Amino acid sequence: MVELANFAIHTLNGIQYGFILFLIASGLTIILGILDVLNLAHGELYAVGAYVAFSVFGYVSGAFANPEGFVGLATFLVLSLLAAVVAAAIMVPLGLLLEAVFLRPLYGRDEVYQLVLTFGLLLILKDMNKLIWGPLPVRAGDIYSGINRIPAAEFVGLTFPTFKLVIIAVGAVVVVGLFYFFNRTKLGRIIRATAIDREMATAIGVSTDRVFTLVFAMGAFFAGFAGAMALPQSNASLEMGANPLVLSFVIIVIGGLGSLRGAFVGAMIVGVLSRWAVWQYPPAEIAAPFAIMALILLVKPNGLFGTWGETA
Amino acid sequence: MSDDDHQSLKAWGRRSYVPATTTRDGDRYVRVSRGMVLSPRRIAGWLALLALFVAVPDIASLSSSIQQRVLHQGVLFGLAAVGLNVLLRHTKLVSFGHAAFFGTGAYTAAVLASQFDVTSMLLLLAAATLVGTLMAGVIGFLSLRHTGLYFSLLTLAFGQLLYAIAQGQSYLGGSDGLPVRPGEANRATLFGVELSADVYSVVVYYLTVLVVVLALFVMWRVVNSPFGNALDAIGQDRTRAQFVGIPVRRYVLAAFVISGIYGGVAGGMYGLVQQHVRPEATLYFLRSGEILFMAILGGFGTLVGPLVGGVVLVFLQDVGRDFTNYFDALTGIVLLLLVFGFPRGIVGSLQSGSRLRAAVSTFSDDPAIVGEWATEAWTSLWAAVGRARRNLRMLVLGVR
Repeated sequence: MVELANFAIHTLNGIQYGFILFLIASGLTIILGILDVLNLAHGELYAVGAYVAFSVFGYVSGAFANPEGFVGLATFLVLSLLAAVVAAAIMVPLGLLLEAVFLRPLYGRDEVYQLVLTFGLLLILKDMNKLIWGPLPVRAGDIYSGINRIPAAEFVGLTFPTFKLVIIAVGAVVVVGLFYFFNRTKLGRIIRATAIDREMATAIGVSTDRVFTLVFAMGAFFAGFAGAMALPQSNASLEMGANPLVLSFVIIVIGGLGSLRGAFVGAMIVGVLSRWAVWQYPPAEIAAPFAIMALILLVKPNGLFGTWGETA
Repeated sequence: MSDDDHQSLKAWGRRSYVPATTTRDGDRYVRVSRGMVLSPRRIAGWLALLALFVAVPDIASLSSSIQQRVLHQGVLFGLAAVGLNVLLRHTKLVSFGHAAFFGTGAYTAAVLASQFDVTSMLLLLAAATLVGTLMAGVIGFLSLRHTGLYFSLLTLAFGQLLYAIAQGQSYLGGSDGLPVRPGEANRATLFGVELSADVYSVVVYYLTVLVVVLALFVMWRVVNSPFGNALDAIGQDRTRAQFVGIPVRRYVLAAFVISGIYGGVAGGMYGLVQQHVRPEATLYFLRSGEILFMAILGGFGTLVGPLVGGVVLVFLQDVGRDFTNYFDALTGIVLLLLVFGFPRGIVGSLQSGSRLRAAVSTFSDDPAIVGEWATEAWTSLWAAVGRARRNLRMLVLGVR
């Protein structure tokens, strides 16, 4: 019985981790699907999001040094989510600037240069974080201490931190929202049309320039949001961008390059498996996602869901 | 086919190793070996470069700011980049996992030295090359089913898989890595001669020089062989190459393995030089990226470009560390300059007909043009920022 409870806890942890990974990978995958750019700086956008959320929430949480009672704790939780959204919103202008200044001149050039450029941006953003927030990791535990006071949720004999459940809920909302956006709204369909055939989209009057900018800004937004959501459980550090970036690569390869649905399934697989690995055999944690990826590619060379566009 | 090609085709079977002078278009050329015909100026340039390369330990002993260790490391990463360049330049495949072979070579040397007490440097190097080659065969077989980004991401994933294994296995030392020479009693040997610590670094350096010169020559032969031309054809259009009758998959795999051999040799040498191998320093995906960017920085359209790029990038990172806290950003800015200013890389830009050469000649004609360039750059930057602002307004307020 203890085993089963453990199993459930670790699976839930994995799902929560998977949602964080999906938030990162979704941005990367739509940028890849539409701009045809593999954005190596994406992990750094995630890190910047975490740092910004730290500053934003650190500023706000001064008023709530010791949240008490249901109302106090609930306000604290809502505020932390709002801080995440604000931090992500700050990423939008940054994304726009990066796209307009650096990426735009590179469309149509050899893809190698896009890799060099985004890698250069990665290094520069990393040092920008160092310049603003210092070389040491910033401890997020202090300002988010209120979150630990929120009593853990108890259901069917399991206890699970409430904040992780909140992350799962928020992640689920984002997933549903994204699929709704791409399947049901006009703008989403325009973006998909651009992904399927850029020239044709231009011919029927879509401004691909704007679509590119919008998509890159969306990617930056979700990367920043993921960083802000992951912050309370960890620290913001200079190296935090590398791991999620590589895992996002794995996820989008598993799911199929540029496929949003694939990214979701891939994120869940990677998230849950890596948490199971931590539980059963910790050395396998880093290797597991790559082994899974190699296996899936041997069976399905184009990933689980192929490329994106026709279906979201 | 020109007359020249006919001549060289006829001469294909004959062998002459004696350097001879020939005349072409009124200029004198020296035939160094079969197919390698150089002008005297180029020969002088190559010899000067070689002399510089050989003299590095002496130069390093003169000035404390230039460290032999740093240059040496740059040369080794550059050698791996020369290997990667086969894929990048000819088959147009972007490998993002070349640290895998580099690390495999380094770890092979380390495991043999520390777990099996192998002391012979040549044996360590040979084993590193062999295992690197095998690894390239396996990874190539699995990832060459794909092209484009899939290929890049697959090679990246395999590289990270090896990194994860090296991190996780205590046999391989975990994240602390392995020493390449256990204890002082266990000295490295070359041809059975024990080397003392002070001789060691110099001997290893000249071994590297030998390996690098040999490797460059072999690469030159490979690239200028029918095999190299076939790779070019594959890079231009796979389907067409298939129709012409080139066994595409076999050739691409061969190219991949060749590039892996270079990675393995470089990694093995790295193990001998650093005498300690860590997963972070040899197998991490950032190392793969760096190897790729070295090739591009030096100029991936050239033979020695990747080597130059390797030295420059490693040097930049090491010197930058002394001189500013933000050495990563320094590298980043150099990469941005590379993309926008000299896309053909350092060596490529020095060749005739490049944008940089043209810019330099306009500059020497009229130095006042700098002002024009500055305003031009400023206007385009300003336009881009303006576009970003407009787009932001559009995102917030909608299209009006």
